[in-house]
Amino acid sequence: MKRAFRRLGTKISDSWTNFINFFKVANVNVKASMGLMGLGQFMYRQVGRGIMYLGVEILGILFFAIYGFQWLIGLFTLGTVQGDPWTGKDGDNSVIFMLLGLMSLILLILFITLYISNIRDVSRTSKLVLKGEKPKNFREDLKDLLDKKFYKTVLFLPLLGTIVFSVLPIVFMILIAFTNYGDPIIPPVLVDWVGMENFVRIFSMGDIGPTFFKILGWNILWAIATTLLNYVLGLLLAILLNKKIVKGKFFWRLFPILAYAIPGFITLTAFKFMFAQGGPINNMITSNGGDPIPFLTKDGTWWARGIGLLINAWLTVPSVMLLATGILSNINNDLYEAAKIDGASSMRQFKDITLPFVVFATTPTLITSFIGNFNNFGVFYFLRSTITSDGYFVSNDTDLLINWLYRLSIDKQYYSIGAAISLIIFIITSSISLIIYVKSPAYKKEDTFR
Amino acid sequence: MKKIKFIFAFSLVSLLALTSCDPGDDPDVPPDPGTITDPSPDDSVFDKFNGELERNVTIKIVENDTAIKMGYLDELLDAFNEEYAEYGITAVDANQGEFADLPNSGPYGYGPDVIYQANDVLMGWVQDKHVTPLPTHLIEAYESDVIPTAAEEAYKAVANNVNYTFGVPLNIQAPLLYYRKDLLPSDWQTNWDDDNNGVPDMVENLVDLYEFSKMYHAEDSTKYGFEFSLNDFYFSSGYLFSYGAYLFGDNNRDDEDIGLHAGDAKLGVQVLRQFAAEMSAACIDDSAKLAISGAMASGKYFASVTTPDVRSVIVDTLATTYQSEKGLSAEEATQLADENVVGVPFPDLPANGDLINPSDEMIECKQMGGINGYAMSSYTKYPNASLAFINFATSYKMVKLREEILQIAPVRSDVAEESDELSQQLFEKISNGSIVLMPSIKAINQVWTPAGSFMGDVAADPNRGANAKYDTLDKIQAALEQLSQDIYDAIHLLD
Repeated sequence: MKRAFRRLGTKISDSWTNFINFFKVANVNVKASMGLMGLGQFMYRQVGRGIMYLGVEILGILFFAIYGFQWLIGLFTLGTVQGDPWTGKDGDNSVIFMLLGLMSLILLILFITLYISNIRDVSRTSKLVLKGEKPKNFREDLKDLLDKKFYKTVLFLPLLGTIVFSVLPIVFMILIAFTNYGDPIIPPVLVDWVGMENFVRIFSMGDIGPTFFKILGWNILWAIATTLLNYVLGLLLAILLNKKIVKGKFFWRLFPILAYAIPGFITLTAFKFMFAQGGPINNMITSNGGDPIPFLTKDGTWWARGIGLLINAWLTVPSVMLLATGILSNINNDLYEAAKIDGASSMRQFKDITLPFVVFATTPTLITSFIGNFNNFGVFYFLRSTITSDGYFVSNDTDLLINWLYRLSIDKQYYSIGAAISLIIFIITSSISLIIYVKSPAYKKEDTFR
Repeated sequence: MKKIKFIFAFSLVSLLALTSCDPGDDPDVPPDPGTITDPSPDDSVFDKFNGELERNVTIKIVENDTAIKMGYLDELLDAFNEEYAEYGITAVDANQGEFADLPNSGPYGYGPDVIYQANDVLMGWVQDKHVTPLPTHLIEAYESDVIPTAAEEAYKAVANNVNYTFGVPLNIQAPLLYYRKDLLPSDWQTNWDDDNNGVPDMVENLVDLYEFSKMYHAEDSTKYGFEFSLNDFYFSSGYLFSYGAYLFGDNNRDDEDIGLHAGDAKLGVQVLRQFAAEMSAACIDDSAKLAISGAMASGKYFASVTTPDVRSVIVDTLATTYQSEKGLSAEEATQLADENVVGVPFPDLPANGDLINPSDEMIECKQMGGINGYAMSSYTKYPNASLAFINFATSYKMVKLREEILQIAPVRSDVAEESDELSQQLFEKISNGSIVLMPSIKAINQVWTPAGSFMGDVAADPNRGANAKYDTLDKIQAALEQLSQDIYDAIHLLD
């Protein structure tokens, strides 16, 4: 940590020295743009660019003078005046403050980026002029945006969309994890920053620490087991239906596709009904003289886990089968012919040709499948959301982290704890995915099957 | 890579800067009971109720789905709009569903102005100030003194040491025991009516219902005398309350005191456990609740527990059965079904909490219930028009009309006096505390899942044999204490 800070210090010091040196050698036009955005461009008669940079500076200063600065302060204070809806007294909404503060921060970063771009731009122009070339005019700039720099034009909107709809909510969620936002601290009550308190609570041995580790353990087991099960079953089904001896392939493929096409929540509701204590399966068992099986009750921990695995296989295997069918049709038959001539058995052919090819092609899918299963909310929410287990805090022994997160943040309104768990889930899933992907042949031998 | 490192370092520094800020003070300061006062008409929260009706405005009303479906809301809106036409006030259906999300719509200006809901829902919004205190001195129902104290209490909460009222009670919601009159044994008047009061004993006390259930099941092993989903704590909590349990202390206001293990609550659990042995496995989860209409129509269940709004579904299903089995016309079948599906308050319980060796002394079975009523959004721009609507909708005339159309038990004593016997029984139970009202504090949300899960576990216990978890009173007591603790922990996680 100390070393990281030392490096950071060195980096800042180097940057400052570079800036001083740059300032010393910069000509008057560059220095003009440092003082007022666009001025250097005007001095080079680049009116279009000059107006744009100047416009950015004016708008930026106006925005930060009127709103932005206040919003930034709000990000740190999260409001100072508590409103009272009963008397109609307007107050600060901490959550809105956080959101606006975050937007302001993003706009500030954007403003600084444009400021630096303004200096770089005029510096580049000054170098062109030094070489005796003519500075580009506005029309040439526009032409570039539709030609050489077309990628910038095309990527602008997606980048903006990503920032607004993806980056902003993620950073917002991360920030929530460091506050006390949650029942009873919900606006109009003012929210505060609490540092690492929520993480300490999760990892401590108090109310929720033990539950977290129990759920995490089951969550990892579930994600691995269900991903492998679905993958193996889907692959086997695809191989089976790919065999020439199978008659009526279309007919047999139709059934899994039907299961896949039916909305998941309908399937889950149907399975819940089937395995309910008074459901058809238990009715059949009792009418034949047996005792009802606690499939989904408090006692049915492993029954419910097993049922969850099977239901998820029911829902997911068809998509794996379809994927594998497509991949299998791409394998060069010459490989099998050659293997047969060399005397390789069917098993050997599967192990050395089919499996590596399919695994190679589906590793990224396997990773997304793993993440999807790690965060598989639906299965156990539908099956056992009305149950809590002994020794589990506001959860049960089949809940995954995502289910627990839902119970804490939506049912119980403990948003900050929920956000902290989300952050932990994000760290776990992204780390595992990254490691698996980097270690996989799909990454290491990218060109193998090209 | 250097850029990534820099961004990471910058983020870390920013995060540390943010996290180094001080947390605020705890705003949750419990009121000192000695200093609590009634609100004064001059209280600043009532300033907005200045008596001047806002003109040419539209107020949005949330009503329950049944009232909309049965046409009551249209009648109410038409009558109100006609009455206030000269002011240009128009009340309309908010079209936000009966479970309107006021906390997430109100602050942003698109929530309803007036909401009809159960007391636990409405009062759950008080802590965050989403519903506003009402000036009872300006509300006819309160001024006429026709609201029972218990119902009024359901809408009171203390804020800033003042005991405000946040709603106007309208009708009583409580689960009832429903049974099939035509499935009573033919000799019930001679053998099942010891007190000769014309009411079958098996729907008057649980001991006889237990005996009858055994007999009913013995005659046909696919049928059950009494069956309901024990995991629904709204249905099963009354058995615990009857023996001394309570949800929250201080008349259900103190969430620091969880009392599901209080008194002899364990006897209530024992009663349910004993009865669960005579029920099917469907009593463990929602199966019995979901199957109720079909099971009662087919005679699989002689009696069950549900809320009054489900009765019409049972009647409809039974009518269909009658049509096919007895060849009756639709009208005849519906009339017969309506006569044969009878609702009664929960049967009495043995004082010793033992159905197998019951005591002679019986105690009244309490049941959880709710008081539905109107409340006003704190974010309404038209408080005076909204208050006029609440006054209008809770007037004698409209409550009477509501009772006639929706067949519900009214809270207003002047309407209740003229109601049917069941409504009067419920009114009496509300007044004497036999219906335990759902707590009017937000913490109730933390009760349903763990308590329901526990009751489901109790229902499963008779099938566990030697591994039974609740076969002694000591074990039940320990489990109830743990349940209370779990609920406490869930409520006070962030304290």
